[in-house]
Amino acid sequence: MDINTKKLKKNAFRVTKVRNKTASRIRVPGGHLEAKYLPVLQHIAEAYGDGTLHITNRQGFEIPGIDFEKMVEVNALLESIITGMDINREEENGGYPAAGTRNISACVGNRVCPYACYDTTAFAQRIEKAVFPNDLHFKIALTGCSNDCAKVRMHDFGIIGMTEPQFEPDRCVTCGACVKACTKKSTGALTMVNFRPQRDAQKCIGCGECVLACPNMAWTRSKEKYYRLTLLGRSGKKNPRLGENFVKWIDADSIVQIILNTYEYVEKYIDPEAPGGKEHIGYIVDRTGFEEFYKWAMKGVHLSEKAEITSPMYWSGIRYK
Amino acid sequence: MNENVYVPFLSKIQKVIRHTSIEYTFRMEYHGNVKPGQFFEVSMPKYGEAPISVSGIGEGYVDLTIRRVGKVTHEIFEKYEGNSLFLRGPYGNGFEVSDYAGGELVIVAGGTGVSPVRGVISHFGNHPEEHDGMTLIAGFKSDDDILFSMDFETWKKQMNVILTVDKGEPSPDRQVGLVTSFIPQLELKDVASAKAIVVGPPAMMRFSTAALLERGFREENIWISQERKMCCGLGKCGHCRINDKYVCLDGPVFPYTVGKNLLD
Amino acid sequence: MGYCFTEDGMMSVWSELEKRYDIYAPKRFAGKGRFSDTDCVRYGQVHSATEIVFDKKAEYSAKEFLLPNAETLFYFTEDQILESACKEKEMLVFLRSCDLHAIKRLDAVYLEQGFIDSYYKRLRDKVKFVLMGCPKAFDTCFCVDMGTNKSTDYDMSIDKVNDKYYMDCKIEEWTELFAQSAERVQDVQPAYVTETKTHVNLPVQMPNTMLQSDLWREYDGRCIACGRCNFVCPTCTCFTMQDMYYTENGKAGERRRVWASCMVDGYADVAGGGTYRKKHGERMRYKVLHKVWDFQKKHGYPMCVGCGRCDDICPEYISFSHCVNGLKKACKEVMENE
Repeated sequence: MDINTKKLKKNAFRVTKVRNKTASRIRVPGGHLEAKYLPVLQHIAEAYGDGTLHITNRQGFEIPGIDFEKMVEVNALLESIITGMDINREEENGGYPAAGTRNISACVGNRVCPYACYDTTAFAQRIEKAVFPNDLHFKIALTGCSNDCAKVRMHDFGIIGMTEPQFEPDRCVTCGACVKACTKKSTGALTMVNFRPQRDAQKCIGCGECVLACPNMAWTRSKEKYYRLTLLGRSGKKNPRLGENFVKWIDADSIVQIILNTYEYVEKYIDPEAPGGKEHIGYIVDRTGFEEFYKWAMKGVHLSEKAEITSPMYWSGIRYK
Repeated sequence: MNENVYVPFLSKIQKVIRHTSIEYTFRMEYHGNVKPGQFFEVSMPKYGEAPISVSGIGEGYVDLTIRRVGKVTHEIFEKYEGNSLFLRGPYGNGFEVSDYAGGELVIVAGGTGVSPVRGVISHFGNHPEEHDGMTLIAGFKSDDDILFSMDFETWKKQMNVILTVDKGEPSPDRQVGLVTSFIPQLELKDVASAKAIVVGPPAMMRFSTAALLERGFREENIWISQERKMCCGLGKCGHCRINDKYVCLDGPVFPYTVGKNLLD
Repeated sequence: MGYCFTEDGMMSVWSELEKRYDIYAPKRFAGKGRFSDTDCVRYGQVHSATEIVFDKKAEYSAKEFLLPNAETLFYFTEDQILESACKEKEMLVFLRSCDLHAIKRLDAVYLEQGFIDSYYKRLRDKVKFVLMGCPKAFDTCFCVDMGTNKSTDYDMSIDKVNDKYYMDCKIEEWTELFAQSAERVQDVQPAYVTETKTHVNLPVQMPNTMLQSDLWREYDGRCIACGRCNFVCPTCTCFTMQDMYYTENGKAGERRRVWASCMVDGYADVAGGGTYRKKHGERMRYKVLHKVWDFQKKHGYPMCVGCGRCDDICPEYISFSHCVNGLKKACKEVMENE
């Protein structure tokens, strides 16, 4: 058997612990898919794999137990899923063109969850469309609100949905439900002044608890959608850490631009000796300094006046090395 | 008269009578018809309003006995003779003295509950010909809480007065014990025709009416004065509603036959 | 007299009416729903008939035009009081039959029971009502059972069928304008609901011991006392008065009244720290019995008009109609236990 492991990895297959057996990894941007694709996965697992299927941490699927020689056939079967999910691909029936940039994961978002401030799946798909395929090791995740169920701070780019609560005094019935919700469930950005809530914009994290709590729609969501962008969280062996706040009240276009800019920055500065061509972005930034990263990341980015940038940024985490 | 019933009028404080550290009577200038048991909304712009029972009625004035328990009453206590207060009222049905005339009468009052019936007590005290024997059972928490002590001196000469405190050392001036404990041994000529008025905190009223019924009083001969959160005083805001009755409009004085069903 | 209008005809009537009235109707507030990317249909000022939402129930009722959420009663300084001014322009309010019946309930409380409320009256005198024909009940409606499905007590009526508007007008001064702009003059009967999916069985007796019924216990844990049911209700009329002062020296301010809810903490607090109906089930009892029993005792007809908004809005999926339907059985139970 002669297999180019570098090539198969790029093709979203894996070298497994079982000799001659591989596993196929299926991307599901935004973690939401039409149920009609499940029979295809079932068929691949039963006809080519060991009849099992793993749901990955990044909301994809991994079908183990596939013979290396069946990769071509499996790729052909994956075609309907790849095109159905509108994944960028270069060659018909060739399977996934890259695996470095991982599946863009997301919480269930506002298609289902009342807390979510936006359609996380749709935004994940938009980002996927903009960045994939790419061999660079990028991890991007989206979450609908400040609860961060998707744990986006563990990623290179974490996108947290926000809404800027709008207050209509004439609809306020002074019941205090918003203040109570904000105090007990969020950051305590609201206080009662003259029977009505007053919002401390600095403390407000745009979680929307006040909107949900208000019985009379005195608090509503802003027309504009806002996000908090967190940067360069990571797990791993040297210095695992949570992503830190980069921009508060950022818009979607700017997020996409910053991510694309970061690819250019990484191409320029990645350690050419990095094993497998894989280096967490955070270590590159540790090496070049934040200022250099910032210069690259913000190229052509025009933030609104509302956006609040944290610069310079500092990270902590656990340092093993 | 302003047609807008929400707009209060200014009334001059003629006199402040201090009963206890937290209970004062404010004698307010007022010209108009008013009955004991009715109440005024005392309005402190910026702090709000508090419903206060009329505790005395005289030529050109009404007495409002106020207990300092909340932010509005706290502010009222900052006022002195010569200052003015905003008032709205009088509201509520009040006591119709003719309802209680002609027979034996027992009035059971607890704490500030003495205020609304003070006018009734004084009326029958001054008109012995209108009743056939009268007993006042008035209870306070302690000696320090006793209101209208001057009045009690007068009343003691006019009627059978049982002044009692819930807790205290024995004293010749008053008894020790809950008002209810004095009801069973009430001496009456004809309990079946005797009338009773009960005013006070909810628990006190509940136990007192039960004791009166036990003593043989007829339901239709008992009146109570309900206490609720009264906000507008006009039967609009809803806070004081119990079942189909608005305490501020249909009450606060209810015949027991009606009042007994106003439970909450 | 009735009229049929094309959209253009409607527009020309509208522009005349707007000179005289501020026109309010259920409309769509895009993106203003509670959850992200959802809309809210509620009352707002409309500048064209096309803005009116006919096929959805407004989440909140039309009562806000007679009983604003927050209404300034007067302004004060330390020793002076200045009554607030009333809105100048007359109002034309579009509403369904159930909501028009609700106005009768508001009148009962604010004009008929005890004192006349001058703040209510001054707005009431400025409002004319346009009955919106309602051909089909929504799932939670039970107007037929409450006898509120039909109304003739309107100033105008409107039905939209396909692209045509059918209006009745009882205000004489507009008949000429309507006749001029109409495609044709014809008899118009506003549509009304004759059958609902939800039904209610109203109680015929109410023993005092209903206070102790187990029926209410369930709500102690389920209800979160948010008050949404009250705020959306077209017949809830409670308010609380508040004095607010303009900060800095704090010497001037205003007294206003603000909608209050008997389900929300604080409603039954009394001076000195006491409170009635601490348990949410007790509040449920207070509300439900008012809507289907206590008000009726006073005024001769139930307060509830069966619009179903309280069921639609409850985040805990507590159904008022379901509760009402449990009353008969609960009454029987408490009477047997006596």
